[in-house]
Amino acid sequence: MDEMKTLLALFEDIDPAADAVEKLRDMGITNEQINIVSGIPVTEPMLGRPHQWTNVPRLALGGALAGFLIGLFLAVVTPLSYPIDVGGQPLIPVPPSIVVIFEMTMLGMLVSTFLGVFLDSQFPSYKPKEYIPEISDGKIAVFFSCPQEEEGSIISALRIIGAKSVEPAEAQQL
Amino acid sequence: MPEMVNSKIKTPDEFSEHLMFDPLPRGVMNDMVMESMQTTSWKFWVVAGFMGVIVLVCLFGAWGYLINEGLGVAGVNRPVYWGIFLVNTVFWIGISHAGTFVSALLRVFKAEFRRPFTRAAELMTTFGLVQAGLSIFMHMGRVWLFYFLAPYPNERGLWPNFHSPLSWDFLAITTYLLASTMYLFLPLIPDLAMARDRSKGWRKKLYRTLALGFRGTEGEWTHLRTAMNIFAFAILPVMFSVHTIVSWDFAAAMRPGWSSTIFGPYFVIGALQSGIAAVAMVLVIVRATMKNMKYFIRPEVFDSMGKLMLIISMSWAYFFFNDYLVQWYNGDKFTDILLHFHESGPLGWMWFMMLIFNVAIPWALLWNKKIRRNPTILFTVGLLINIAMYIERYVIVPISLTINRMPFTWRMYKPGVEVWLSLGTLAFFILLYMLASRIVPLVPVWEVQEGQMAHSLRKVGKATVPAVSELE
Repeated sequence: MDEMKTLLALFEDIDPAADAVEKLRDMGITNEQINIVSGIPVTEPMLGRPHQWTNVPRLALGGALAGFLIGLFLAVVTPLSYPIDVGGQPLIPVPPSIVVIFEMTMLGMLVSTFLGVFLDSQFPSYKPKEYIPEISDGKIAVFFSCPQEEEGSIISALRIIGAKSVEPAEAQQL
Repeated sequence: MPEMVNSKIKTPDEFSEHLMFDPLPRGVMNDMVMESMQTTSWKFWVVAGFMGVIVLVCLFGAWGYLINEGLGVAGVNRPVYWGIFLVNTVFWIGISHAGTFVSALLRVFKAEFRRPFTRAAELMTTFGLVQAGLSIFMHMGRVWLFYFLAPYPNERGLWPNFHSPLSWDFLAITTYLLASTMYLFLPLIPDLAMARDRSKGWRKKLYRTLALGFRGTEGEWTHLRTAMNIFAFAILPVMFSVHTIVSWDFAAAMRPGWSSTIFGPYFVIGALQSGIAAVAMVLVIVRATMKNMKYFIRPEVFDSMGKLMLIISMSWAYFFFNDYLVQWYNGDKFTDILLHFHESGPLGWMWFMMLIFNVAIPWALLWNKKIRRNPTILFTVGLLINIAMYIERYVIVPISLTINRMPFTWRMYKPGVEVWLSLGTLAFFILLYMLASRIVPLVPVWEVQEGQMAHSLRKVGKATVPAVSELE
């Protein structure tokens, strides 16, 4: 099997980066071997990249359900264990229970959405990673793995497209 | 008359007064924001030191005195059991509404002028809620027993009554504080990564820790963007629920002046009234005192904020009149006495001041574009609105509590230690904001750049018009 090498091509703008992605695919690099890192959210269609999967909405839904059940427990179940008589109200009145259930549902949804970002993005992660600070200056970095013997031809092709630099990607402490 | 028509058409150069049409390279904007955070004059530390002293004396000192002596040193007593403590709570929760409103609602409706100042507004939410929470704890008196609020099986056999508006308050404020803090943090992550890439020493360590290892991969952006969209939609009903629930603390009681079905939306619009005005004030101060902020916060921002203030002032007047008229019409003897007490009692001047500052002045000034774009006037109007909204809460809480259905208990409220505590919360809010402005990038640079990428000028016939692309 050919030895693979990870390279980083840096672009000033979205258009050449999108061209580079297309070129890489033409040269046999698969989508899974390419990763884009940018300082602003560049959407997949802009770069012709496949849709990114995220679990955040499902986790949000799960959190909302958990929050709903906790709210239900607080408002409906616990009054049975700790009965409190409130001026003529039934032990488990519906309208006040809705307030508690609503707040807990929203809390569950928002906390799980927040945690979902951490889980999906594997935050926090402080180990060395392939990165260069120019990315947060608005540059777009295209990371890709390619067979070592094709490195030269790919670098030339990307430079023609407009890559500012194409270099071996090195993991560094962020 | 073709000349007149042509004179209204903007030239491409004229659009450069708008931030979205006056882009700078991202690296330059990053440097500007970093410089604004790291450039601190001696005047800043003098003001911060002064605020710190006020916090120590008026907040922690006076609170310690209150704890040591008991609630007797406060002015709350029969019939005014809720004094300035609750005025402060409602006021600060109101201030906290601005951040969510500006950030979430304007994000949902894609109002582009929001981009440079969403974070400045979001910070107000978190710090405002801190003051609201502190005010509740102060009012508790025996604050060390705060855990009685929490539901857990205990030997005392006590359990919070979850069907009481006060328990809803606890849940709603906790939910809102957590949600708004998370909503502040999520869009901050890319800017923390930017700050990490440009810092050294303790700042580098701090930003590296807070940026969580963010690089800006496709996956990270997707998760972040999805979460921010969920937050923007979901936090709005939470925002509305918080102040509605606060209003139910009052409206659910069968008291003259309080028992009103319209108190929920009236409180929400009141919160926006003070909150938006406070955001405008903060933006004027940030622009005037922080380096490079004149690039990001332009007269167009003040213009938009002024319009919002005017619309919300009109809405507040509508709800106020609606509430007033129904109470006036219902013929209840004690409500009638209370309404007269509001207007012609010993503190009647407050009631009139509330209407003048909340309605007359904003309506007289903010219709004018030149006035809206003038930071000094906008700041002054914002300050007057906030004074009026503080008075409004004072009218609702201690003044309204003076008159009840038992005339033998009527007694004017004379605040004691709570006056100092109010000053303390104000100073604490300012101090937290000042310190945060040294650490947190106040401008979400990536959002500004994203907005600038989305904006372009288009020729339609002979006119050049702005166009905004949908990038998501």
